[in-house]
Amino acid sequence: MKWIPNFNSSNSLRVIFVIAVFILLFLSSIAYKHNQDLNESSKVVMHTYEINIQLERLMSAIKDAETGQRGYIITRNARFLTPYIYSRDKVNTSFITLKKLTADNPEQQENLQKLFKLITQRFVSFENCLKYSDPKTYDKRKLDNHMFGGRILMENIRFKVDEMNDIEKAYLKKRLKIYDAEISLSPLFSISLFLVALCFILLAYRQISRDFERLKVYNKKLLISGGLMSESENIGKFSTWQWDLDSDKIDYSDNQFRLLGLEPNSFTPNKATLLKYVHPDDKESVAQAIDGIVEKKQLPFVYYKIIRPDFEIRYFKTTGKLLTDQQGSKILLGINFDITDEHLLNIELQERNKELEKSNKELASFNHVASHDLQEPLRKIQTFISRVSEADKSVMSESAKNYIGKIETSAKRMRVLIDDLLLFSRTNTTKKEFIKVNLNELLDNAESELAEIIEEKKAVIKTNRLPKLSVIPYQIEQLFINLIGNSLKYSQPDVEPEITITSEKVLASDYSGILDQSVKKYHKIIFTDNGMGFDPQFKETIFVLFQRLHSKTDYPGTGIGLAICKKIVENHKGHITADSIVSKGSVFTVFLPD
Amino acid sequence: MQKNALHILLADDDEDDRLFFKDAFEEIKIQTNVNFVHDGMQLMEHLLNPDNKLPDILFLDLNMPKKTGKECLIEIKKTDHLKDIIIAIYSTSSSEEDIEDTFIQGANIYIKKPSDFNTLKKIINEVVTVNWHYHTSGLNRDNFLLRLK
Repeated sequence: MKWIPNFNSSNSLRVIFVIAVFILLFLSSIAYKHNQDLNESSKVVMHTYEINIQLERLMSAIKDAETGQRGYIITRNARFLTPYIYSRDKVNTSFITLKKLTADNPEQQENLQKLFKLITQRFVSFENCLKYSDPKTYDKRKLDNHMFGGRILMENIRFKVDEMNDIEKAYLKKRLKIYDAEISLSPLFSISLFLVALCFILLAYRQISRDFERLKVYNKKLLISGGLMSESENIGKFSTWQWDLDSDKIDYSDNQFRLLGLEPNSFTPNKATLLKYVHPDDKESVAQAIDGIVEKKQLPFVYYKIIRPDFEIRYFKTTGKLLTDQQGSKILLGINFDITDEHLLNIELQERNKELEKSNKELASFNHVASHDLQEPLRKIQTFISRVSEADKSVMSESAKNYIGKIETSAKRMRVLIDDLLLFSRTNTTKKEFIKVNLNELLDNAESELAEIIEEKKAVIKTNRLPKLSVIPYQIEQLFINLIGNSLKYSQPDVEPEITITSEKVLASDYSGILDQSVKKYHKIIFTDNGMGFDPQFKETIFVLFQRLHSKTDYPGTGIGLAICKKIVENHKGHITADSIVSKGSVFTVFLPD
Repeated sequence: MQKNALHILLADDDEDDRLFFKDAFEEIKIQTNVNFVHDGMQLMEHLLNPDNKLPDILFLDLNMPKKTGKECLIEIKKTDHLKDIIIAIYSTSSSEEDIEDTFIQGANIYIKKPSDFNTLKKIINEVVTVNWHYHTSGLNRDNFLLRLK
């Protein structure tokens, strides 16, 4: 559906998140490595430092031994020999430690062996010095030799120790250099990576907040349309329901409950409740329609009755449609209309229609009575009068002859009345076949029909071109006969009648008060005469059946002619008006649709 | 009863009309043999009875009891040995519907009953003297309804 917003951003958001997570993982692994390296290097430093200390201890123990020995040699006090005696243990302890510390370095082990040898030699030299300094075994030359040799050994030991220290330092330096090289680029690199990750996260945040804004807007729209919907359901007397076929869950709109005569949400709808309130007569057809909708995906209008809890019967009309959403789940959407009012109105209309049909039939049979049964006796009266021959009349009294004459006149008038009435009713009841004809032809026919009276009154009829229209020909001809006949009948004495017929095309919108606006263009045909005219206050009433403006002795007539004109024009969905100025003339205007 | 006389049959339930008809034929002085039947049933019995001579012209009223003129017309036109009888509809009605129907059913002429005896005489004279073979071949809706000039 159109109004569902397309939140595509969720995909790009996912990509952004995955990238950011990878960057962060990468960064933390680098940090871990960095940490490990630092740890390693500090260990190496410690190692070197420890070796250094142990070597210094070794040195100082030997030096202590040397110093103690000298003190003893000079003073011959045994107390000075104590450091010398302990120094051997100290040297041994340091040596063992050093051996452990340098276990992984063969070069240092070798150096250590050499150092050990030197130290052993030094101690042998100590022994010799003690021996030759002893007054019992004193030998100045040998003592000097050993003292001197001890001096050289001491220097060699120092040299060896320094060498070992140097090796360790060099090793330390090398290792530190390697670590440095390993992580020399990482601070800059990791900061930039971190910034990139930050950017991604910010981007994602922006997208999320934007989506959130859009969601808020659509939520508002949804709220508004939901409100509108329930309001219009209330006013329009319809309701909606949704049936999720997959989860078999049915939702009713609030108004659905109201249409069923219940409070909103007064029960949880399910498949059974769809039929619960349906009138027993209609249950089967409604159930069939519901089953059919799943196959046809569309429910044609179903009409049925429901019974409300208070036993009121309402008439419903329901339609529905099967929808498949993006996830492929099927939802049945339905709309119910409460058409009770329309239904009742319809019934009333049907009844009225029947009544109308009945009265129309009565009218038709009246028409038959008029055409047949009324004419029959009249015709006989006339025929019998016509059978009264001149010979018969000569033997009649004057008054009898007079009465016969009056009967004849009355019968004639009745004949005219019946004929006109018949004409009037037939204008309505006979078949209305519209044929495209030139109105000039129909006018010619009308004129030839009236030829006698036209000649008698020396009337002049002026016409311009009349249009070609789709009309009921004999009715329009009758219209022309009646209008022209009317003008001729009510001409002014001693004035030759002049009738002008003009025609023009007009727009319906210019005559909005009187013309049906569903047709845009009309032909306006105007009949103007120079007759005696009539009081304009009668311009409406002259079209009413049996309305006469003159006494029948002055102007014999039935008051039907213009009513027929009106009927004919109405049959053509047109309009007729009349206007007049007394003793100047009348104007009859006929509008016929194009 | 003359041998060469024209056989005329009027089917009409109205006694007065039969009287006018009889009088009119007497006055126009054409050798005719005029018979009358009172309703549709009687008409069909008369026509289907082999003892009766078939009429040359049948004047048929439409509004008759028992069997209407239209029903008779249809029956006559369906019956082989009757379908060639000249049929003049003779009715009070001048409704378009009646004229149209009877024209389609094959009537030869439609006469609206006049309200003047002299007119009736003229009409009968016209109908009896017309050359029916000629008239029937040129029959159309316009000259079907008899109009006297």
